[in-house]
Amino acid sequence: MKLKQLLKLIFTNITQNKVRTFLTTLGVIVGTATIFLVVAIGQGGEAQVNEQYSKLNVGTIIVMPAQRGRVADPLTKKDAELFLASANIAQAFPLLRGNGTINYNNYSASASFMAVEPEFQTSNNLTAELGRNIDEEDENKKNRVAMVGAELANTLTDGNSSEIVGQNISISGRRFEVIGIYNRVGDSGSGQSYDDAAFVPYSVGEKYLLGTRANPTINVQATSLDTVQAAIADIQSSLDENHRAGGADQFRIMDAGSRLAAAQESARSMSMLLLAVAVVVLIVSGIGIMNVMFVTVKERTKEIGTLKAIGAKKQEILNQFLIEAVIISLVGGVIGVIVGFITVPILRYFELAAIASVSGVLLGLIFSVVTGVFFGFYPAWKAADLSPLEALRYE
Amino acid sequence: MVHREVWAAHRRECNMVEQKKCVIDAANLVKIYQNGSEELKVLDDVSIQVYDGDFMAVLGPSGSGKSTLMNILGCLDIPTAGEYYLDGLNVLTATENELAEIRNRKIGFIFQKFNLLPRLTALQNVMLPLLYRGMDEGEAGELARGKLTLLGLGERLGHRPNELSGGQQQRVAIARAIVGNPELLLADEPTGNLDSKSSEDAMRIFRELNEQGNTIVIITHDVEVADQVKKLVYIRDGKLYENN
Ligand SMILES: Nc1ncnc2c1ncn2[C@@H]1O[C@H](COP(=O)(O)OP(=O)(O)O)[C@@H](O)[C@H]1O
Ligand SMILES: [Mg+2]
Repeated sequence: MKLKQLLKLIFTNITQNKVRTFLTTLGVIVGTATIFLVVAIGQGGEAQVNEQYSKLNVGTIIVMPAQRGRVADPLTKKDAELFLASANIAQAFPLLRGNGTINYNNYSASASFMAVEPEFQTSNNLTAELGRNIDEEDENKKNRVAMVGAELANTLTDGNSSEIVGQNISISGRRFEVIGIYNRVGDSGSGQSYDDAAFVPYSVGEKYLLGTRANPTINVQATSLDTVQAAIADIQSSLDENHRAGGADQFRIMDAGSRLAAAQESARSMSMLLLAVAVVVLIVSGIGIMNVMFVTVKERTKEIGTLKAIGAKKQEILNQFLIEAVIISLVGGVIGVIVGFITVPILRYFELAAIASVSGVLLGLIFSVVTGVFFGFYPAWKAADLSPLEALRYE
Repeated sequence: MVHREVWAAHRRECNMVEQKKCVIDAANLVKIYQNGSEELKVLDDVSIQVYDGDFMAVLGPSGSGKSTLMNILGCLDIPTAGEYYLDGLNVLTATENELAEIRNRKIGFIFQKFNLLPRLTALQNVMLPLLYRGMDEGEAGELARGKLTLLGLGERLGHRPNELSGGQQQRVAIARAIVGNPELLLADEPTGNLDSKSSEDAMRIFRELNEQGNTIVIITHDVEVADQVKKLVYIRDGKLYENN
């Protein structure tokens, strides 16, 4: 039979058998849309991680106590100075964190505060939007001054943030003069925002806010990305030397690059998990397609017998069913992709990161055609194997 | 295309009787169905010759092996033993594809239940054997339309089988069988599903087709049908008899 005639015959069969075509196509649509959306969600997740960590300098190393709470032999400002002796380290400064009540006039907020050295501000892109930054003089003279994050300033002043500059606030009952408000920086990447915090000079925080409870972390900046590992080794030997009660083992040394890699890795394994779910969905919908096909092949086995009786060759019958399966799964695949494209904005509306992508389209189409053809063609392949008489007699 | 060279090997000169060639030349056909350990001999040493222009009926009661014989003669089934030459070709040594070619070009089937394809129109059904031959749609459509018109279905070309009466469906089936000018028309109980009026019509059509030179073998259990043919043979319990 000529190809053109074969296609016409297939087209007639597809369009004259709407229920069967609909059911089969539905299976393919569901499968394809699932694959497409899984890829979209996976890529959305990865993009989200990358976006979060894009603010984090990958040359940054954070040294912190391995355990929470009180530590017998805490890090000190002295450690930071000792780290600086390493040729691989460009910058090292200690950092204290705490939580407390912050009061201004009648307003009070429960917020976190940080005691920082002036370098902290530059390496975190914090600049004074109003007033001035904390400087070396504040640090050295232990000036009781504070900077507030943009969001916190808003909270404390009920929206009139500028009025707070030059006024006094109290942090955990201690009084500080507000010298400025930082620009907005958004999420810092570690899950918490500097916009909600108050900042005081390191020496001041150590003396007035935390006292003997001071248990700082030290932020270290390697000279370059390539020296991060060497810098970590130097930090370890310095800690071993200066902290007798257990050396470097009492501390955790984390570099941002590995954290980024770990986060990407977990986003990726999430994608793989979703993909596995999608494959299961595809197999299930494939079995659905196969069921429909089996039912219709029963109906059509007699027809296959008739076709053989009037001279159709086995190959011609196989071609007919194969092309039919390819057409149905391609059409279903395309509709599935369209459904996916429509669903992505809906997912985004529910704040689920999802990105439509070419690889999602391709993967969805490939999977749909493979399952559609496999499950659609297999029953026909079995039917075409029958002798003409067996097919005609099929009940 | 038919593989002429391959077929040449299967070919043998067929017996000529009164200058007529022998379309079917089957000898000592046996068909045994294995039912577990039990053997069922459905055809028992059947020999049959059909000559060009014959109009023959095989008459026998239900279960006598009529359909089994017709399926073997129609190359839908193979005998357990015996010899079968169709238009000089050794059917039993032909490959699957060659058999498909034989069914397509040499045989026109007419089934008791018509066996039309339900999603195709009458015209498409009749065109199908020609399309499997590789004929162009235009030419096939022309021939199919001609045959349907000849059988009084010129107004029903676009109808699907479920929009036609039983008699009309059988006429479509006859049109499909004759459209490719086969050497042989085989009809298995062609009137079995028809009312008496339609049966008469169908038999009249067969008679006319035979008058135009078609070779026809009808298988039936209906004595009235058997009365209208030129040559009658009987089948009982898988054996063929010239006389009742
Ligand atoms: N595939 C088969 N397996 C076993 N027995 C069969 C098969 N086909 C037909 N028969 C048996 O062969 C006998 C003849 O069947 P058939 O040729 O259809 O008879 P008829 O057409 O004369 O009614 C019946 O007894 C039937 O049961
Ligand atoms: Mg029968």
